[in-house]
Amino acid sequence: MRKILKIYKPFTHAGVLLAAQYRINFIFFILGDILMCFINYFLWKAVFNSGGAETFMGFSEVDMVSYIFISFLTSTLAYSDGSYAVGEEIRDGSIAMRMIKPIRFDLAFLFQELGERTMSLTLAFVPLVAGVELFKFFATGSFRFSIINFVLYLVSLILAYLINFYFNVCYGYSAFVLKNLWGSNFLKDCIVGFLAGRTIPLAFMPPAVGAVLNFLPFASLTYTPVMIYIGMYSPAQIALSFALQIFWLVFFIALQQIIWNACVKRLSVQGG
Amino acid sequence: MIYVNNLKKEFKKTIKDPGLKGSVKSFFKPKTEIITAVDNISFHVPRGEILGFIGPNGAGKSTVIKMLTGILTPTSGSCEINGKIPYKNRKSYVKEIGVVFGQRTQLWWDLALRETYTVLKEIYEVDDAAYKKRMAFLNEVLELDEFITSPVRTLSLGQRMRADIAASLLHSPKVLFLDEPTIGLDVVVKDNIRKAVKAINENEQTTVILTTHDLQDVENLCDRIVMIDKGSKLFDGNISELKRRFGQSRELRFVPYDFAAVEALDYKTEFGLGEDDLELENDGHKVTVRFNSDTIPVENILNYTLSKTHVKDINVTDADIEEIIKGIYRSEVKLDA
Repeated sequence: MRKILKIYKPFTHAGVLLAAQYRINFIFFILGDILMCFINYFLWKAVFNSGGAETFMGFSEVDMVSYIFISFLTSTLAYSDGSYAVGEEIRDGSIAMRMIKPIRFDLAFLFQELGERTMSLTLAFVPLVAGVELFKFFATGSFRFSIINFVLYLVSLILAYLINFYFNVCYGYSAFVLKNLWGSNFLKDCIVGFLAGRTIPLAFMPPAVGAVLNFLPFASLTYTPVMIYIGMYSPAQIALSFALQIFWLVFFIALQQIIWNACVKRLSVQGG
Repeated sequence: MIYVNNLKKEFKKTIKDPGLKGSVKSFFKPKTEIITAVDNISFHVPRGEILGFIGPNGAGKSTVIKMLTGILTPTSGSCEINGKIPYKNRKSYVKEIGVVFGQRTQLWWDLALRETYTVLKEIYEVDDAAYKKRMAFLNEVLELDEFITSPVRTLSLGQRMRADIAASLLHSPKVLFLDEPTIGLDVVVKDNIRKAVKAINENEQTTVILTTHDLQDVENLCDRIVMIDKGSKLFDGNISELKRRFGQSRELRFVPYDFAAVEALDYKTEFGLGEDDLELENDGHKVTVRFNSDTIPVENILNYTLSKTHVKDINVTDADIEEIIKGIYRSEVKLDA
């Protein structure tokens, strides 16, 4: 383990340097996303105002606001570029340059991305959590921050990121077949976003659909951590969702390995 | 050191009819065709040798290199390097080799060059003392100092290639693969790179496999050449052997006082030659006769020419390696291998 850290740490370092090169880009990106958040916020505010009821499908207005901003935070932090990075290297053939190094691709990509992520971590995390908690304080008049839920949320978030990363790497390997991932990546992001509960909470779905979606890996990406954060899950539900998250993580790591082994055998490097 | 046995690689290729209709058709019902990029190639390279791997574009050179470096898995046949099979024990195998693909880079595009070396140092587990010594040596042969702090994307092609070669040598590999290392470089940089490769080969007994289109590389560096075309091996031997075997063609050039008198020269009848054995070219400034010194001794052709014409100037030259290889690529030289 220590050896792995030593070998792959420079990738994280390089990732930080890379992210620093494109920080302006990143800030615009985040600003765009935050605007989307506020659109969502006003939309739900209108729903609560017109309904007149205190709660909507078990969510109070405060819960909903927390859900919107924390799901945004979660999907930003658990976001993975894996499919794009892997797909692009396969498309232009530079994957060959990784194969001539005594390293594992998944780990090299992972550690590099972690480095690139540190920026979004520091830029988005503190202001958003502080903002949500302040809002809750002013809306309810009391301070309701739960340290336990927050720690559980962090664990769940890390699992969510790892699942998302390996899922995206698996997906990126489809470039071996499709050769170009531009279009399909876009479609994937939309579908995954919906299934992960980024658009509307999965609890709002019809019960049968909701049950299925809860079991699918996508719920583990955003919905599970957010529900833990806003305190909607009972301890039993939390335990179950951790088990599910670990299951999906192992599943995607194994799948990634299988696909990789199969692809390498029939690899044709594009160009030169 | 390096054993290659009946190595073969086939690719499946989708054939598409031209135009939009063709695209739509191939989307639903792709037609495929098997292409043999490398066909039963065998050779052996002893430790410390520099092997030149040459052939025209699309001959399969890069495919062979990719199989030897563990990137591609051969369809059939085998290769063994340092007692390892590249595509089977990839991770432990690549620790002992260095690879440079002239058309790609292993450097981190957006980072200062030095960062790439830091990452490589950890990947190959080079300790601090060895790293320092190594960098000093590479600096000396490749002169990296002037641009080591610049981002890689700002380097010129020549600097980038030097940096890439240094990156492939950081861990003192036993085998170095250079795929077109001098592509697109000016003569001075080419010369520097050749000197560096030579120095590393001599100092460390590094085995080098080099593909190139620049025959100066071959003449200056290689102990031996393997020539391939259309996936098959055409020639395997050293340069003097190549010259001896295919290099009997000579060129006689002379400037006569009277160009009309050249008409009277009839080499073919005089020496009883076939249509392809001799080539005569008269461009009004000089006369060039290409012939094979096996069929016509140089003395005879000179005597005959001088007896028929008065010349201002005359000389006979050896065909250079470039001419020979051009001949082989165009299949003008009959191969009796």
